Amino acid sequence: MEAAAAHWWIWPLALFAMSFAIGIVAVLGGVGGGVLFVPIVGGFFPFHLDFVRGAGLVFALAGTLAAGPTLLRNRMASLRLVMPLALAGSVASFVGAVVGLSMSTELLQTALGVTVIVIAILIAASKDAFAAGAVESDALGAALRMKGDYEDPAAGARIDWRTHRTIAGFGAFGAIGFLGGLFGLGAGFANVPALNLLMAAPLKVAVGSSGLIISIINSSAAWVYIHRGALLPILAVPAILGVMLGSRIGARLLEVTPAATVRRVVVVVMLLAGTRALLRGLGLWT
Amino acid sequence: MDVREHDAEVQEIYARWLDLGTRAGFAASLVAFLVYVSGAVPPYLPLDALPRYWGLPVGEYLRQTGAPSGWDWLSHLGGGAEYLNLACMALLGVVTMLCYMRIVPVLLRLGERVQAALAIAQIAVLLAAASGFFAGG
Repeated sequence: MEAAAAHWWIWPLALFAMSFAIGIVAVLGGVGGGVLFVPIVGGFFPFHLDFVRGAGLVFALAGTLAAGPTLLRNRMASLRLVMPLALAGSVASFVGAVVGLSMSTELLQTALGVTVIVIAILIAASKDAFAAGAVESDALGAALRMKGDYEDPAAGARIDWRTHRTIAGFGAFGAIGFLGGLFGLGAGFANVPALNLLMAAPLKVAVGSSGLIISIINSSAAWVYIHRGALLPILAVPAILGVMLGSRIGARLLEVTPAATVRRVVVVVMLLAGTRALLRGLGLWT
Repeated sequence: MDVREHDAEVQEIYARWLDLGTRAGFAASLVAFLVYVSGAVPPYLPLDALPRYWGLPVGEYLRQTGAPSGWDWLSHLGGGAEYLNLACMALLGVVTMLCYMRIVPVLLRLGERVQAALAIAQIAVLLAAASGFFAGG
């Protein structure tokens, strides 16, 4: 115990290094960092899962807040699309955070393990992106004017888009927000398919808008963790700094790194971290 | 003015406020963290005592350390460096709310009543979350 007290700084430093590595891999693998951060840090670091989830939420919040201005200016994120979905998601995320902080650690670890393993399988089996532009708005989508356009340099054209299945979209973002608040995840892994495959937003708009949605949803859940005393600066700040630096490196490596290989690595890491959380929750590997 | 022009104006204003708020939040967080780990302002809980507590569930952590919850941490800003950090991270939690507050009058001026109503509802949700009333803190 004395040695642990004298060397308290080793764990925040290791957390910074891990967050830096996660920042790189998350960008290259096309997943949100939170889905790696919470199971890895929760499974292999000495911090309690309550504090890890609090740090995970701020970790995802910081990354998406930083990216937001660029995404909005180049119209990869659409406020018109984001506002109704984020509203549903932020209410659900708040409820998820309250429920998560009331659950037993073992049950939460088990549920986190199962969720991360399922997400890893979904990522591994994910279908190709939906080609947008071919749908008509439904009545609610038309009333909310959920449509827009962006310049696509690759296509050399302005792409007009609109979305459909708006009610199903609200349901999806309610469920995603709940899981995000419960486990302290950003849930980008689910936002993008919900926007692209379910609602037919173009992939680029789905990716950009997903980031902005996370920044809004997590702002609501972060307050629950702050008020319950579950946000420790000694975890949260090194995590934020690490992921911000790592994401910048990852973005630079994006052009020269085989994305498919990194994606497979991400899936394997998630399976390992998810299994660790599951076994810990079941009391089989404490 | 059509939907496209409305979106361009609203998104630019939101982006500008988001950019400013986020930069301010990050800079303040970094400075506050350096103050915390350097010992320039004494922490509520000594750094070398943290390993004894960071593995506990949050309820047990609060009970054993007597650390504040809810808004009580505000009273420790002068004598608890970790709560100075918490205040800076709370800044990141209000940036989105400020962006929404800024675009409401713009949306109303543009006649985007549905969007304005959504923004006001979102502000209400974020205010309710920040109040701590429903979080049980």
